[in-house]
Amino acid sequence: MSIRISRRKIAAYYADELLAGRDITRQLAAYLAESRRIREADLIIRDIETALADRGVLVADVASSRELSSASKSAIESYLKQATNATKVQLRESVDRTLLGGVRIATAGRELDATVRHRINQLKASKV
Amino acid sequence: MAELSVTELSKDIRDAIAQLDVAGDLETVGVVTRVGDGVAWVHGLRSAGYSEVLLIETKNGVAEAFALNLNEDEIGAVLLGGEEDVVAGAKVTLKGTVLDVPVGPELLGRVVDPLGNALDGGAPIKTKQRGLVEREAIGVLGRKHVHEPMMTGIMSIDAMFPIGRGQRELIIGDRQTGKTAIAIDTMINQGRQKTGVINVYVAIGQKLSKIARLVDRLKEEGVMDQTIIVATSPSDPASLLYLAPYAATAMGEYFRDNKQHALMIYDDLTKHAVAYRQMSLLLRRPPGREAFPGDVFYLHSRLLERSAKLSDDLGAGSLTALPIIETQAGDISAYIPTNVISITDGQIFLETDLFNQGIRPAISAGLSVSRVGGDAQTKSVKSVGSHLKLGLSQFRELASFAQFGSDLDEATKSQIEKGQRLTELLKQHQYTPASVWEQTASIYAVNSGSFDKVPVSKIKDAQTALLTRLWTDHKKDMQELTKGDVKITDEEPVAKLIKKAAESVAKGFEE
Repeated sequence: MSIRISRRKIAAYYADELLAGRDITRQLAAYLAESRRIREADLIIRDIETALADRGVLVADVASSRELSSASKSAIESYLKQATNATKVQLRESVDRTLLGGVRIATAGRELDATVRHRINQLKASKV
Repeated sequence: MAELSVTELSKDIRDAIAQLDVAGDLETVGVVTRVGDGVAWVHGLRSAGYSEVLLIETKNGVAEAFALNLNEDEIGAVLLGGEEDVVAGAKVTLKGTVLDVPVGPELLGRVVDPLGNALDGGAPIKTKQRGLVEREAIGVLGRKHVHEPMMTGIMSIDAMFPIGRGQRELIIGDRQTGKTAIAIDTMINQGRQKTGVINVYVAIGQKLSKIARLVDRLKEEGVMDQTIIVATSPSDPASLLYLAPYAATAMGEYFRDNKQHALMIYDDLTKHAVAYRQMSLLLRRPPGREAFPGDVFYLHSRLLERSAKLSDDLGAGSLTALPIIETQAGDISAYIPTNVISITDGQIFLETDLFNQGIRPAISAGLSVSRVGGDAQTKSVKSVGSHLKLGLSQFRELASFAQFGSDLDEATKSQIEKGQRLTELLKQHQYTPASVWEQTASIYAVNSGSFDKVPVSKIKDAQTALLTRLWTDHKKDMQELTKGDVKITDEEPVAKLIKKAAESVAKGFEE
């Protein structure tokens, strides 16, 4: 049995390869299957996002109550570039009516919740 | 319609909205991947520090945990409350601080949990200050040698193994040998003698009924006003049991740092080590001897090192510690007992055999020791009790030989008789701590031979009679003696006075 390689190291290797233009997703999947670590796939994806963010490529989930205009999207992008020193930002958008208003931006290991729902919850917590 | 209330309500809400944070910055977050046995494993939060508090979002508010395992891929955090609400996938944020507890005089007379929440049904505790649960001990220059007595009121301890303010003296013995009783008597004595010492009693996994009984007793004795009780029960999570002594020490340190004197009682550190073992095993740290983790020595050494006598520059306050350890079948060479024995400045060893013979407190003269107390002993008690320990240990040895034959020479016989008298004299009921003059007079009466003709079984009665007579006839002298700065020699007027009273009392008890 080989030594267990930490998720952080796998993610770093994958990110380096990806940024060098080589897609090793299949190899990674095969490795995980062989070493019986398929269960960790979700966590490894999160780690890869973190590793990419460390290298200046940021993937952000943006949730909002309705479709964002291109102006707000570029505002979010420039905010993220400035806040994380990323050189490249990629947004994954989703619409969630229950947020009531505002946006929630989630990147690797960091989050900004500026939704109306979050503020109402905060208000509820402070009043209780 | 109750329009007024609606307006008021909307004003309230408006105020609350005004106080809300305008969306902050990108916040570091992690996610719970697994949870169980009081431990939550968190992915992310790479900037978390050791022992930092984590806030886990749950459907019923926020659960707190503290990070103890910082691994390459995940964090192991110990939950400070129940784990029912914490689910995998929950969002985790950093509080940005390590654990702290409320400290200050507001806690006096209260029963609290290790996080400073009231357990006595009283008002919530609000203090001006908070103290760090884990704090580094004072350095060399901040300390002074232990030189003031911390009277326990228990004659055998004050005379043979004196404890000083700032000392750490271990109370060790099997179950049911009176370990807690000694600690409680010491607390009560602080009230009786009006020493002003603050008591902090830490119950680590003790039955709540026992704590309730203790609180009642302390109230009855009138010492609850200068006492803080930090209580954890066997049903609390191991994390709280682990934190209890550190949190309580933080509360005691407040008094130490404010020129006062405090007495810590850790009841008991065996359970503390067991709670820490549970946490460590669940955090997957490698087990060592008796399955305790490798740092179980550091667990107690860093705790007890916080007890100290401060230098004059720092206000000359003190924190005395009386940790309690329970042994199995008198085995003081087990892992945890040897650890704590080597950390502390001495130990009071209680023996089951003595306890069953009716010698209570069941203190073993041979195995008990106080390594720094000599300097701190009250002068008058020291002058009468200096040979007590040796005499008593020799007597116990002789007595075991004497069981085999009755042909003994006069010297041995008299030594045995004296030993029996001393043993009888040092018996003391619970909740009856003796003051300095009572101890001095009693020991002097036996040492000077005034009670030599009193039969052993009547020594206690003779002692009571002597103390009553001295208090009625020579109250002033006795009050003077209680100050403790007179060295008792046969030429000292007060010694002559005691001897005279003792001899006349003894006549009434002779056979």
